[in-house]
Amino acid sequence: MTEESTWIQRAREGDQNAFGRLVVAYQTPVYNLAYRMLGNKVEAEDAAQEAFLRAYTHLRSYDPNRPFRSWLFSIASHYCIDRLRRRRITWLPLEDEFAEPYLMTNKSPNPETVTSQREQEEQVQSLLGTLSPTDRAAITLRYWYDCSYEEIAEMLNLTVSAVKSRLHRARRALASSIEGESAYAMQTG
Amino acid sequence: MQCKQASEMMSLWLDGRLESTEVALLDAHLAECETCRAEWHGLQALDSLLASAATIETPVRMRVQVMMRLERRDQARRAIIGGTALTLGTVALALLLVAPALLGLLDALGIAPALIRGGPTTLLHLLDVGETLGRTYIGLIGRLIIPLIILGLCGMTSALALNGLWIGALRRLRASR
Repeated sequence: MTEESTWIQRAREGDQNAFGRLVVAYQTPVYNLAYRMLGNKVEAEDAAQEAFLRAYTHLRSYDPNRPFRSWLFSIASHYCIDRLRRRRITWLPLEDEFAEPYLMTNKSPNPETVTSQREQEEQVQSLLGTLSPTDRAAITLRYWYDCSYEEIAEMLNLTVSAVKSRLHRARRALASSIEGESAYAMQTG
Repeated sequence: MQCKQASEMMSLWLDGRLESTEVALLDAHLAECETCRAEWHGLQALDSLLASAATIETPVRMRVQVMMRLERRDQARRAIIGGTALTLGTVALALLLVAPALLGLLDALGIAPALIRGGPTTLLHLLDVGETLGRTYIGLIGRLIIPLIILGLCGMTSALALNGLWIGALRRLRASR
């Protein structure tokens, strides 16, 4: 039995400290998933916490034969998708929407690198923001978590062929957006 | 190869899902089709942009916040269970205490028409009966106080047990969703 499965087993028996270990182990991927999905660090933090709470509540329904990571990401993705759908009728504070995230790479970068990274980060989030919630989840899981088509299908309750076509469609849409941005930049000088 | 098929294959290629023979076919198509070549370059640019996006640092208080929210939720749940059990127990106890008076009231309603027909003499008799009933009631309460307390405790225990079953059923329902 691995250390992780021991924590899961103990957490299922109601040991909150063991669950705390799982939170520490998965807080970065779950928070990043929420951030890529929601594009807002305040909302991402709240969504990540909520995903962990839901995981704790439904821990008894977790099948130990499945990877815990997939199960947890599935909960977080679905929660973020629901939140994005609800967001259509909710106003968000602008300062949070565009709050700058703290990047983990380059602890002491020079100002030029920081500006470049920030611009790149804004571009990525603005591109992701053009996708539907489910397409956004599929792209996020594929690029930042290196999930296979089968894993994405299981996490998002889709068929493998649906994942393929969603990724294809999303990539084409994103590439067109980049092309459009470049053309606009060239026109405006 | 059709351009539509080539476009679908590009995405698969980026994900490493193409066989070497399919890669060769796509490569040949890209060499002769300018539109698909432009699309391929666009997809490659997107691929490197997304792949280069850095990991965002997690807020340091994440674990503490999750544990605090768990604790708050447990406290709220305990308060709901305790409050519901107490309310149900009190209601059960109150019903047990009021039951004899309610039964007496029902009997009185049954003799009301006879009272109206009898006039003032019947009212005097009724006062006598009321006095006797009052004494009997006080006597009964004195004798039944211990059984009533036991019944009240049983009521509270049953309420607690029912509450436990109800919350268990709710949990199972939520888990099955």
